[in-house]
Amino acid sequence: MIKSEEQEILPGSSRRDFLKKSIALSAIAVIPAAIETSAKTRSDEKFAYQFEQLPLRLEINGKMHNLKVDPRLTLLDLLREELHLTGTKKGCDHGQCGACTVHVNGNRINSCLTFAVMQSGNKITTIEGLANGEELHPMQKAFIKHDGFQCGYCTPGQIMSAVACVNEGHTQNDEQIQEFMSGNLCRCGAYNGIVNAIKEVAK
Amino acid sequence: MKPFTFSRPADIKSAQQLYKKNEASQFIAGGTNLLDLMKKEITMPANLVDINSLSLKEITTGDAGIFIGSLALNSVVAAHPDIIKNYPLVAKALLAGASAQIRNMATIGGNILQRTRCPYFYDVALPCNKRKPGAGCGALEGFNRTSAIFGASENCVAVHPSDLCIALAALDAKVFVQTDGKESIIPFKDFHRLPGNTPDKDNNLIKGSLVTKIYIPKNNFNIHSHYLKIRDRSSYAFALVSVAAGLHIERGVIRSAVIAAGGVAHKPWRLYETEKFLTGKTASAEIFKKAAVIAIKDARPLEYNKFKTTMLEKGLQLALKNAMA
Amino acid sequence: MGLFDNLYSPPPDDRVDGKQKVTGSAKYTAEFQIENLAYGVMVGSTIAKGSIALINVKEAKNAPGVLEVITHENTVIVENLKDEKKAKNLRLGLRIFHTNEIFSNGQPIALVLADHLEQAQYAASLVKVTYTKAAHNTDFDTTVNKEKTKKFTEDNIRGDVNAWKDAPVKIEAEYTIPVEVHSPMEMHATIAIWESNDKLTVYDKNHSVKDIQQTIASAFDLEKGNVSVRAEFVGGGFGSGLRVWPHTIAAIIAAKKINRPVKVTLTRPQMFTMVGYRPQSWQKISIGAAVDGKITGVVHEAISNTSVYENFTEGITGMSRILYDFKNLDTKYKTIALNKGTPIWMRAPGEATGAFALESAMDELAYKLKIDPLQLRLKNYAEKAIDANLPWSSNFLKECYESASKKFGWEKRKQEPMSTRNGDWWVGYGMGVGTWSAWREGATARGKLDNKGNLLLQSATSDMGPGTATAMVAIANTVLGIPREKIKFELGNSAFPDAPGQGGSVTTASVGAAVNDVCEEIKKKLFDFAVETAIDFKMAKYEDVIFKDENILVKNNPAILISYTQLMLNKNVFEIDLTKSSASGEESKKYSFNSFAVHFAEVHVHAYTGVVRVKRFVSSVDAGKIVSEKTATSQIKGAVVWGIGMALMEDQHVDNRYGRLIANDFAGYHIPVNGDVPEIEVLFINKPDPYINPMGSKGLGEVGLIGSAAAIVNAIFNATGKRIRQLPVTPDKLI
Repeated sequence: MIKSEEQEILPGSSRRDFLKKSIALSAIAVIPAAIETSAKTRSDEKFAYQFEQLPLRLEINGKMHNLKVDPRLTLLDLLREELHLTGTKKGCDHGQCGACTVHVNGNRINSCLTFAVMQSGNKITTIEGLANGEELHPMQKAFIKHDGFQCGYCTPGQIMSAVACVNEGHTQNDEQIQEFMSGNLCRCGAYNGIVNAIKEVAK
Repeated sequence: MKPFTFSRPADIKSAQQLYKKNEASQFIAGGTNLLDLMKKEITMPANLVDINSLSLKEITTGDAGIFIGSLALNSVVAAHPDIIKNYPLVAKALLAGASAQIRNMATIGGNILQRTRCPYFYDVALPCNKRKPGAGCGALEGFNRTSAIFGASENCVAVHPSDLCIALAALDAKVFVQTDGKESIIPFKDFHRLPGNTPDKDNNLIKGSLVTKIYIPKNNFNIHSHYLKIRDRSSYAFALVSVAAGLHIERGVIRSAVIAAGGVAHKPWRLYETEKFLTGKTASAEIFKKAAVIAIKDARPLEYNKFKTTMLEKGLQLALKNAMA
Repeated sequence: MGLFDNLYSPPPDDRVDGKQKVTGSAKYTAEFQIENLAYGVMVGSTIAKGSIALINVKEAKNAPGVLEVITHENTVIVENLKDEKKAKNLRLGLRIFHTNEIFSNGQPIALVLADHLEQAQYAASLVKVTYTKAAHNTDFDTTVNKEKTKKFTEDNIRGDVNAWKDAPVKIEAEYTIPVEVHSPMEMHATIAIWESNDKLTVYDKNHSVKDIQQTIASAFDLEKGNVSVRAEFVGGGFGSGLRVWPHTIAAIIAAKKINRPVKVTLTRPQMFTMVGYRPQSWQKISIGAAVDGKITGVVHEAISNTSVYENFTEGITGMSRILYDFKNLDTKYKTIALNKGTPIWMRAPGEATGAFALESAMDELAYKLKIDPLQLRLKNYAEKAIDANLPWSSNFLKECYESASKKFGWEKRKQEPMSTRNGDWWVGYGMGVGTWSAWREGATARGKLDNKGNLLLQSATSDMGPGTATAMVAIANTVLGIPREKIKFELGNSAFPDAPGQGGSVTTASVGAAVNDVCEEIKKKLFDFAVETAIDFKMAKYEDVIFKDENILVKNNPAILISYTQLMLNKNVFEIDLTKSSASGEESKKYSFNSFAVHFAEVHVHAYTGVVRVKRFVSSVDAGKIVSEKTATSQIKGAVVWGIGMALMEDQHVDNRYGRLIANDFAGYHIPVNGDVPEIEVLFINKPDPYINPMGSKGLGEVGLIGSAAAIVNAIFNATGKRIRQLPVTPDKLI
């Protein structure tokens, strides 16, 4: 991945030519010509690879990022491996545990199940962006108070999910909280504390 | 994951043209199933066409029914006031599926196109005709606890995994499809298919077609309906057996009934004969019990999924009972 | 009276590392930023037995970004892995890259290295392997059926083995538990960095840094001091982090080979095949009792599986030898070798398995005798540890029975199954009991008090989740009278003083004792300073002073005091830096040390669907004095959640035709979700054990799980009249 501070990353001239000749595409459509050819002919992928980085502009925790990424990069791997925002966890990489939960435009999602390039133009909030400086988010405080974790690995995902759960209004009773928090596994079994933390914040 | 080209067109025409640029193209919307399949190298598109910019998110209500855009999110549809009021079965089925996070990503179009969760399909080191035609079916004589009891073939015993589709099947939804600028409408019962000799095909969608919307006709089942999902844990698990049941009751008499079962076949399993039996009868535990016997009469379970027959028999009675409550 | 009783009330026990965990700043193994890091992805075998005939890595190597593909054909040779005998002696397990033999499906056979993760992942799929297949055996049930009538490796007889047969009331039953998998939320990972030719730094997910350091040093013939193992934050482990696994060796080899730091993170499916599991088990219990419920004889037989390259055993029948007053007892055990990876200790190893059978059998016997299961247990209470012929160091099991049954409302239980119905749900009550040997291992702690009054503690212990540092800070705070916020406890670094790995519920009992002892040493030092430099204390005796709120006070006249910082100023020292080792003494031979837990469960079983919901759960635990109540409560609750998983859903399938796991991910291997878990009530007897250690604390990490699954399954019987002896109790078994 290449990071850039430039505001606009325009494709190279060959790509521009390609786009011109191509069908009417929207402004964000990007087809790296070289890899397209390569994919068709199954030619040397090493050659193709130099061309396959795609521009990506997205906001993470209030900061705008202009990037170039491998389209195969998931949002989760972008956060953890490229931007070193390791607060978001990988627990399964297949949408089966919820450890990678982040907010996209305010909604909770599993960041392992989306390609980074698909998040172009979106606002991402991760656990690192939840606290107001040194002042913890009420949900973070409640998790500490109610001991809603042990090892702490599923915790960022639980907290991001919990904040969304409250915002969605899915906190009418214990049963509803539990159902709407069941997409976040906790092997330490801190579920009681998690429910109690959410109840406190939802009040 | 295999490298691929990526594009995000703004309209259907461009999307379909981009799709045609490569033999191994794939549309992507929510991606909640596709990424999973790509990571496991079960699906290996060389060209990915992101359709999220297409204007297919709209939900339009009308007197005759409701249109749900194929890009409408599962969570949005489940929370839509008209869905909750007039098509509660749909909302209940949606909320029984996956997790809150996944429902925030997954689209309605993607939901109906999701692929089976059969463990043999999901492990490229094991044989599966659906994944690799001709390789054999690992589940047939293997670990088939989650496999089909209806409509399977010796080539494939996988089950369809969606909850939503069970409700849509019960409600006689229609799938609107765009192929090369032409629109076609597929009745829900004809959308998914049985495995037969071509288990690699989950549905009757022509390659390169796009599902644009789902239509659900207005019905009388909104008062008495229930979606029952039986699974190995309380949430975030696929159904062992599920039942979508809708009853139109007038003065205690069943005027009409719609019933579909999930977790039992390669497609949502409509129980027409059971529906017919119930029609005109007075709702009672006794009648439901008899109906359940009819529902399971064609069941052909395998070694480890015999319980599904009983589970459907009892589950159906419970779903009908709860629909009456 | 224990140490904790004569001081002020315990401090609030929010986790000391809570803020790091809730903000995402806690760094787990795979999260360290290392310059020039290469990504490694393991490739597993797709057959269960045989050998690699041909491994073609050409395509993988040509894929974009790929640096190298390591296999048995091009590995850096590690002599101790090359030599089978040496590898065995050093307990290195699988000789990764040093054999072409395949012993289990999913066995790691290649490591693909690339600049970026997605490149390595793709290239891993391009490694083509041709195998020479051999007939494998992964079939536990068939093998057990052949083996259960043959001789057992262990056969421990106490009294008359045949006594049970002559009893008026008898039961005989077989119980099975499938493979269970630890499944910590953090996947195992290793970052290997060769600092120089003979110096290695390893960030590794484990909870036993000293053992890992020792094994790696031995394997690679390095000075132990030249191997640095780091594991400060560990995202669960439950036993899976107690040994060096092949991927760690692979990462170290790879880092050498490409001369770059290498990070290997397992995938979730690989977590099911490469880092151990709880072995599959078969048990048979035969019990005879008099009509009054006095048990006259017991035979407890058990078989569990191991791999074909290592013999992993566990004490499945151990609890039968301890918990009850069984005068006539025969316990038998053996392993069978299958083409699977080697199992590893998984939370309450042995006992959790054994307790399911024993506590189910006790329940079955109670019904047959028409006796309240609680009364049956009281009737057979063991007044002492019979095997060892020793008195208990402390045993508040009867208090556990009483407090838990009262809190739960056991008296409302109906003996007859299917007596209570709530709508469509059958309601049932059940109980189960657990015990776990509480022991204390040698441990060392360093304490450094600076002249600002800050206390730094260090020990090479771990925290996979229970809250080690929180407990240690609580101990230091209590002993030294320094506020919690001025105490820091560091762990998870092999450079720190010796400590046992986190397993067997020994951490607080052992490391806590070392922390206590080093704090006591610091107190003595401070006292010496006071005598030397403070006029008021010139004639003071140690027993006449107390240490409180960072001051030394005269017990009879608390107005006379001097602060620690003043004493250091007086003495003109910057710090007091002491290291203290601590171990058990003669008392360990005079008593039998055990923790106890009593569990009560209320379950609802759906009459139509067979779905089980645990509605209430009460556990009362005797783990001696509780050091940190909040974290201790969470530990017991977590263990009960494991009991729910064990009882109702955890089940790793294998297709014996291919010898391959089926559905080895979180969609196929179910662990409890939030909705499966009711509010769990935890009671602690909280009375100090007078002998185990200065705090009087016995272990509690395991005991909460032991017997909890049985409580649920027994409650299911009470609800439905269905006795399920094959875990897990999924809806299909009850419908």
